[in-house]
Amino acid sequence: MTAVNDSNDLEALFDSIAADAPSITKPPVPAPAAIDEENDSDDLQALFDTVATDYKAPTAPPPPANPPPAAAKPAASVQPAASDPVAATNWPNQQQNVFNNIGKMARQLHDTIHELGYDKLLEKTASALPDAKDRLAYVANLTEQAACRVLNACDVTNPLIDEIENGSKVLSQRWEMLYSNQLSVDEFKQLATETRIYLKQQVPQRTKASRAQLNEIMMAQDFQDLTGQVIKKIVNLAQELESGLMSVLLEVVPDDHRTQEVTDLLNGPVINADGRSDVVVNQQQVDDLLESLGF
Amino acid sequence: MAVDPKMKFLVVDDFSTMRRIVRNLLKELGFTNVDEAEDGAIALQRLQGGGFDFVVTDWNMPNMDGLTLLQTIRSTPNLKHLPVLMITAEAKKENIIAAAQSGASGYIVKPFTAGTLSEKLNKIFEKMGML
Repeated sequence: MTAVNDSNDLEALFDSIAADAPSITKPPVPAPAAIDEENDSDDLQALFDTVATDYKAPTAPPPPANPPPAAAKPAASVQPAASDPVAATNWPNQQQNVFNNIGKMARQLHDTIHELGYDKLLEKTASALPDAKDRLAYVANLTEQAACRVLNACDVTNPLIDEIENGSKVLSQRWEMLYSNQLSVDEFKQLATETRIYLKQQVPQRTKASRAQLNEIMMAQDFQDLTGQVIKKIVNLAQELESGLMSVLLEVVPDDHRTQEVTDLLNGPVINADGRSDVVVNQQQVDDLLESLGF
Repeated sequence: MAVDPKMKFLVVDDFSTMRRIVRNLLKELGFTNVDEAEDGAIALQRLQGGGFDFVVTDWNMPNMDGLTLLQTIRSTPNLKHLPVLMITAEAKKENIIAAAQSGASGYIVKPFTAGTLSEKLNKIFEKMGML
C-alpha cells in the first residue's frame, strides 16, 4: 500500500490513526508498518525468536476475524491490535492473520474516518478503485494483443529470411564451382540467369515483405513497458482492496452518492464503451460524427 | 502530386513511443522532415521558430494540452494557417466536437492504423488543394 503512490490524504490518515493509539500499539509493532511485507517478516521473525526462547502463556487470544458491531468503537478495535504479533507468530496461519489485520484496519479506518468527517474523501476513493482496476485490465489486454502481433509477425518473417539465405547459399555454391572450372558454358549461362532473377525479384520481394512485418512489430509497441503478470497481480490486489473496503464503505455512503460521472474533456481512453452513447469506439464513428456536423 | 515530401512535420505527444510510431509512419509515407515536441508549450516554442508545415498532436499532455495548443495556433496570425491533425485517445463525442469547432483539420482516435493516418493526411492535403 505504501509502495503505490497513493494519495497523500490517505497516508496522512494512516499516520493519524497510528498516532491515535500510541500507548497500546507502538511498543510491540507499529501498526501501520505491519503492511510492509519485508519489514513485517523481519519484525515477526525477531518477535518469534523472542517468544520461542522466553516462552510464557499467550497474553491474549488471536483477534476475531470479524469484530462484532459492539467492537466498532475505536478504543475497542485498537485494543486487540496489541495481540497481533503474538497471533502472527503462528506461521502457518500468518496469511489468515494478515487478512484479519487488514479487516481490522478497514474497520478502524472506517470508524476513525467517520468520526473525523473524512467519509467524503473515502467516497471518492471508493469510486476511483473500480476505475483503476478497469484501466489496469485494459493495459493487460493491450499488452497481450501486442505480444500476439509481434509473434505473428516473427512467424511470417522467419521463413522469408530463410528463403533469402537458402537461395544465396545455393547460388554461391554454384558460383564456387564456376571458379573451380567445374561448370560448362551452358551451366554458367543458366547460373547467370538465375542469379539475375534472384537479385532482381526474389530478394526485393522478400525484403519488402519483411519490412512490412517490421512495421507491424513497431506498431505493436504502442503500449508502454508494462508486464502483464505484474498488472494482473495489481488487478487482483485492487479487487481485494475494493471488495474489502467497499463492504465497509457501503454501510455509510448514501445510495445517491455511489457513482459520480467525470464530465471534463480529459478522460483518457474509453475503458468500457458498453451502454455508453457519449463516446465513439472506432475511427469510422469519428468520421461519421464530424461529417454529420458538416466538418 | 503537389505534396512536398520535404514538408516539415511537428509531432506532439508526451509519450516517446507514440512520437516514434508517428514519426516512423510518416517516414513510410515519404515524409522524413519530422521534429518532435513533448507537450503543447514546447510545441508552441518550436512553431514560433518557424519552418513548420504540419502539426500532428495528442490531446492529453502536461503543461499545455492539445486542444489549447490548437486554439492557440488558430488565434496566432502567423500560425493559424497550419493544418493540425489530432491523434488522441479521447473518444467522447464532445471531445470530437470541441476539436472540430476549434479548427482541427482532422481527428484520429487511438489505437489507430497506418492506413487511417495515410487516409486522413491525404484528406487534409486534398482540402488544402495539394492533391
